[in-house]
Amino acid sequence: MECDKCGENAVLHAAYSGLHLCESHLCRAVTKRVRRRIREDGLVSDDATVEDPETWVIGLSGGKDSVVLTQILHDTFAEDPRIELVALSIHEGIEGYRDASLEACEELTDDLGIEHVTVSYAEEFGVQMDDVVEDDPEGMAACAYCGVFRRDLLSKYAEELDADKLLTGHNLDDEAETALMNFLEGDISQIAKHFEASLGPFDSSADAPTEQTREAQDHHIPRAKPLRDIPEKEVALYARFQDLPAHITECPHAEEAYRGEIQELMLGLEENHPGTRHSIMAGYEKLAALAADTYGGENGDTDYGECENCGAPTARDLCRKCNLLDALEAV
Amino acid sequence: MHVTVEIAGEDTHELEVDADATYGDLLAPVDLSPHEVSVLVDGEHMPTDQPVEHDHVRVVRLIKGG
Repeated sequence: MECDKCGENAVLHAAYSGLHLCESHLCRAVTKRVRRRIREDGLVSDDATVEDPETWVIGLSGGKDSVVLTQILHDTFAEDPRIELVALSIHEGIEGYRDASLEACEELTDDLGIEHVTVSYAEEFGVQMDDVVEDDPEGMAACAYCGVFRRDLLSKYAEELDADKLLTGHNLDDEAETALMNFLEGDISQIAKHFEASLGPFDSSADAPTEQTREAQDHHIPRAKPLRDIPEKEVALYARFQDLPAHITECPHAEEAYRGEIQELMLGLEENHPGTRHSIMAGYEKLAALAADTYGGENGDTDYGECENCGAPTARDLCRKCNLLDALEAV
Repeated sequence: MHVTVEIAGEDTHELEVDADATYGDLLAPVDLSPHEVSVLVDGEHMPTDQPVEHDHVRVVRLIKGG
């Protein structure tokens, strides 16, 4: 089969668009869609100037998604003095897994000349995920502990690095799965929070996916997901074709059973009805904007204060991370 | 048509497929989705709707955690 753009050998049939693309045109298409998403979401604020640039902290795990995000952001903004990029990696204490992916992070940030900061659960919390999995005081999946700890450190260090935005490498499959999970759980306030925290555009423009913009939050650094229009397979192919130092081993503790079920359902639907992931997100973004209008901002039921122990933003006396650390301490 | 499907780092399967089968048709019998793998022939990635023309393919998993 030939590439629909140039006639070279195609490497991918994107059934949702009908296009056959070669290596070169697949990579160009990925970059173009990420840049369009950055534009449509109004990520580059009017306040970002040469004299007073914005700092964007990238959550860099060394997996394909965050590596591709870092590369494309570098290609897009390296020559733009309004934006400064800093990569932030987290070592969870998973033997034989995270060491290799942190090497990938170091190789990439060295190549690109991007400042790179690494923090660890061991130094910050005195725990390692390998031990947390063994102790498991709450009877939860490993990802449930790890997600709480990771989000805490990403927020804390984004704050310390004086970030204006925190960017993560969530792709189309990740986001459509989350959308389906929130919808099937009937959790409208969670959908509103999803819009306010990372989905909603920063500025309203003719290009924005929803007219409504997200409310400014003072309790968390705003997050954004510029890869959320790109199917996971295309992110992975981009990493291979650009020869990026991405680490693709699965975490040995990964066991998000419900997400796995949703993924299987979604990919089955996508195969039988190409474009399902895109249409899930197109509708979900509009629904999330309506949910945020009703449940978000000042209408929300969440009143953020500070954790009594660590000062992190929380709606309770103790934040979830401190609760989990207390439970681990008691084992 | 007889095709050997080698899944990189995993098992190898021997399949009998229709003469007009596509590379994507080789995946369901080995319980894989075209959205999580790529099919390679002599190191080249094949679009999943391309008719099978080779009797040996290699399948690589592209998706293993983020």
